[in-house]
Amino acid sequence: MAVDLTMPVLVVDDYNTMIRIIRNLLKQIGFQDIDDAADGTAALGKMREKRYGLVISDWNMEPMTGYELLKEVRLDPGLSKTPFIMVTAESKTENVIAAKKAGVNNYIVKPFNAQTLQSKIEAVFGD
Amino acid sequence: MSRTNTEHFTAIYDFLQNKRADETTLADVLELAEISARSMQRFYEDMDSAVYRELREIAGYIESLKREIGALKANEIKTSRIPAAGQELSAVCKATEAATNTIMECAEAVMAADSREPAAYKALIEEQMMIIFEACSFQDITGQRISKVVETLQLIDERVSRFAKAIAARENSGHSSEAESAREERKRRLLLNGPQLNGPETSQSEVDAMFP
Repeated sequence: MAVDLTMPVLVVDDYNTMIRIIRNLLKQIGFQDIDDAADGTAALGKMREKRYGLVISDWNMEPMTGYELLKEVRLDPGLSKTPFIMVTAESKTENVIAAKKAGVNNYIVKPFNAQTLQSKIEAVFGD
Repeated sequence: MSRTNTEHFTAIYDFLQNKRADETTLADVLELAEISARSMQRFYEDMDSAVYRELREIAGYIESLKREIGALKANEIKTSRIPAAGQELSAVCKATEAATNTIMECAEAVMAADSREPAAYKALIEEQMMIIFEACSFQDITGQRISKVVETLQLIDERVSRFAKAIAARENSGHSSEAESAREERKRRLLLNGPQLNGPETSQSEVDAMFP
């Protein structure tokens, strides 16, 4: 995997369990610098303080959803190029289309496995 | 106006025709009052019986409404059933979260374990596996808790359905409160559809096809 494993990754989810699962999977892949946030607002704050190489976000959170976070990130000139993967139980076609239109780099439907997460990260970085 | 009443008014008319103002005595006035009272009596009787019937129907409806409201046991639902169901669901969330954390801790311990000493490594694996087995026992209790919540929902459904049928309730359009309206608007605007009941509507392979 030619992905830069030293890059910081931000995991955004309102469930600690899911953050822990993704964090462990990312560690297994080889990532070491992993931060987390409980919703879009907290994530945006962290992204403006630290440059992340990848954001992995849930959709359904309060007060700011992952979908709103994605749109905010794409509108912010300093953050707009950040790779963004949505990991969500929102599996309606309209959700996938809306996320793609908003500029998401890839989309993972929950429940997912380690192989899916790894392959989507590789796809985002063009491996 | 009934024929009887018309006859009474004719009597008043005849009385007044045959009397001159300067000849009118107290007895005449009393007679006129009596004729007038008789003429109005049937009118009031007719009106009273119609109003009485209406009031009896309204009273009957109110009585049946009171019975149905009593059968609804709204206070019991509000103060007992719904809080109990909420507590059961909260306990389910806590139990599943605790079990998940326990299982993840075991997995993390195994992942971090030193495998260079086979005997110690085997003992640790066996110990962690036993903890995982124990943690999985949450499913039995949470299953029972969820059954209680489903039972409560069925009970509320039965009572509300019966009440709606009894009062021939018609659905109002729109939302019952501003908060509900705001929640629904947020869900619609932000595409918060939630998990689908029978698994993902769009499979991962279908999603992958949209991200070539």
